[in-house]
Amino acid sequence: MDGKKRRQKILIVDDSEMNRSILVDMLGEDYDTIEVENGLMAVNELQKRAGEISLMMLDIVMPLMDGLEVLEVMNRRRWIETVPVIMISAETTSDRISQALGMGVTDFISRPFDAKIVQRRVLNTLLSSAKQAELENLVAEQIYEKEQNSLLMIDILSHIVEFRNGESGLHVVHVRRLTEVLLEQLASKRPDYELTAGKIALISEASALHDIGKIAIDEKILNKPGRLTNEEFQIMKQHSSIGAQMLDGLSVHQGEPLVRIAYQICRWHHERWDGRGYPDGLSGDEIPIAAQVVAMADVYDALTSERVYKSAFSHEKAIEMICNNECGSFNPVLLECLMEVSETLQEELRSPEVRESAGESISSMVEKMSHHSELSASNRTLQLLEHERMKYSFFAAMSKEIQFEYTVSPSMVSLNAWGARNLGLDEVVMDPLENRKVRGYLSDELMGQLHSVLMSATPEEPIVTLEGKMERDGVKKWYRFVMQALWSEDEPPEIRGAIGKAVDIHSSRSYLENLERRASMDQLTGLLNLTSARSQAEARLKENPEAKYALAFFDCDYFKDANNTYGHLFGNRLLVHIAERLRQVTRSGDIVSRAGGDEYIIFIQYHQELEPTIQRIYGALHGEDFGGFTISISMGIATTGQVGPDFTELMAAADRALYAVKQAGKGRYKFFEGNETSLVKSRGESVYTNQSEIIDFTPEEQNKGGTEE
Amino acid sequence: MTLQECYARLEGDYAAVSGRLPSEKFIQKYVLKFAEDKTMELLEESFRDGSFDEAFRAAHTIKGMCQNLSFTRLEKSSSDLTEALRGGKSPGAEELLLKVREDYALTADTIKEYKAGL
Repeated sequence: MDGKKRRQKILIVDDSEMNRSILVDMLGEDYDTIEVENGLMAVNELQKRAGEISLMMLDIVMPLMDGLEVLEVMNRRRWIETVPVIMISAETTSDRISQALGMGVTDFISRPFDAKIVQRRVLNTLLSSAKQAELENLVAEQIYEKEQNSLLMIDILSHIVEFRNGESGLHVVHVRRLTEVLLEQLASKRPDYELTAGKIALISEASALHDIGKIAIDEKILNKPGRLTNEEFQIMKQHSSIGAQMLDGLSVHQGEPLVRIAYQICRWHHERWDGRGYPDGLSGDEIPIAAQVVAMADVYDALTSERVYKSAFSHEKAIEMICNNECGSFNPVLLECLMEVSETLQEELRSPEVRESAGESISSMVEKMSHHSELSASNRTLQLLEHERMKYSFFAAMSKEIQFEYTVSPSMVSLNAWGARNLGLDEVVMDPLENRKVRGYLSDELMGQLHSVLMSATPEEPIVTLEGKMERDGVKKWYRFVMQALWSEDEPPEIRGAIGKAVDIHSSRSYLENLERRASMDQLTGLLNLTSARSQAEARLKENPEAKYALAFFDCDYFKDANNTYGHLFGNRLLVHIAERLRQVTRSGDIVSRAGGDEYIIFIQYHQELEPTIQRIYGALHGEDFGGFTISISMGIATTGQVGPDFTELMAAADRALYAVKQAGKGRYKFFEGNETSLVKSRGESVYTNQSEIIDFTPEEQNKGGTEE
Repeated sequence: MTLQECYARLEGDYAAVSGRLPSEKFIQKYVLKFAEDKTMELLEESFRDGSFDEAFRAAHTIKGMCQNLSFTRLEKSSSDLTEALRGGKSPGAEELLLKVREDYALTADTIKEYKAGL
């Protein structure tokens, strides 16, 4: 075991200092503990380090935020999936307890605390939690280290994993799924086999162990490409009894149903219905049903898979061979079941669920076994298991995604069943680049991007990602492509293709775009905020610096009074009203923004005369009665002709004109003239440049604006 | 006074607590801690101020501590008070508070005496 010991963190949430302290005393020796005294702090803590917390112990009745509310937050943010929770309340009302259990609580420890129970429950919860993969190492080190005196199941499993690397990695998985499917079919036909759901699960899980005896068989024989000699075959045949012996040697687990069934499967999965199998020559129902079913599953998968000594048979051929007793005879009722599931079988085995459930089966086996504190396990063993688990969970996580494998030569794409269905394509598409349907999805642009990102992959960093828009039902939708490049074995290696997946990220992408849009808007009025108005205006100024632009800067006179007299809600409605008016009187190309408070700006392009436009806008705003308040507007206007194509200068000049209006009694508009007082002091802003720099001032014919109806 | 005698005086269940908690020292630590706990004051205050929500939580906390220490007598009265304060004050709450006050005093005094004799 490696030396670094990362201890698991337990978050204890209870308002009673004493209760927390008791728990810390009970658990502190084996775990790190964090204490907080109310729900709010708990949520904070989770926010900060949800990933580090292995378990939470949660009281119900607490100030500020109670335990049930914490659970609500945890459900909403999906923390409950990764952080198991044990309730520790003194609460005895059963409806609150069941409410808590309904919200994902794993366990409930009632007061008074019993040290042994607390430690045991915490350990159990940690063992069975969803984070188990990550925790296995830790837990194993913490509890198993001390007890290394017995043979372990985990060790056996790891050997299988080791032994089965590569070639038949999927064999265990397939056999499991086949076993399950056959058993389900059989259950209704033959109630006398007593195949309950629990038993089916157990047999399917145990099926993973059917070939453990092969550990003892010489690798040369196992992987021999040609036919085995008679002598070699005799050795090979020993694997079933060896496997059984191994399980028999597990002195500590003899009572365990999983071990009992695994024993039957190991020993008798090569027995045949007519008594001509090995090692014991059992016949008919002398052979336990678990072994009968696994035998059939084993044969089917062996036939349909490629092996060192044979190529794969088709599904139909395999079924035919089994039914003709070419691989030994089987229980007639099982043959019936096989025929009945035959049609769906192929797809079953290819579905991602198969892989997923395989992951589950391993994890649940580990879980089962880890309940035996007698077990001990080497770190390497657990690492191997974890590796397998990661592989499986990767596949599991890939469900509902378009998965593909692309090879350059021959030019071909294979898709997973779901992806093919989703795209309406065959699972294998030859010459995809020439395929009209494929090209319908992938624009030339996207193809080019995919190609270049794939070519950028290196053996050090083989995985590349790309986000691009794929044509779906006439709409371009965002997808994320994740690909791993495949290389040839040449020197230097050449990219021969890629495996990868395409995930629909349209909704999240749209959400982001929506957020961006929202961030550029003023929440109250829906107009642009100043920052985005500025950047849009600056973009136009840059794009076309010779054009004539004007900026009008205005505010609502006596707005403070309106607020004070009629209330803030009225003030808000007034601001919204002005914004609506502005939308009505401006053109879609104008930039209209609420700059803050009751200040607005309008940035417009004009061609000949500006004044009539300003007059129209001003007239639409000024003088209107709004719920008893007469709207009065003061406005200052500056043009690029005066200050140059610079937004800051425009703002400064318009602001100065506005200030001059305010000084002169409000309720008018005024064009910037250049002789206005500097406003640096009065407005406390320093966006203005030195007045003397404002040159080339062209007076409009109307110098003092002022058009009140 | 031994810890066992202390439990007898405050009408707790020593057999139960020693079955649950790892050692006598462990129990002693928390028994002594109990006498320093301020939750009772919080209960009195919040009750006086009419914040029955807070009073409920305080009573609940006392009940929880008593459960952990197997202070049977105070657990009973604080538990009754908790229920009388759940979701607002019910009519009998004042009387139950008197009982809690009395039991708390017995418990705290006994512990102080026990501590003095250590």
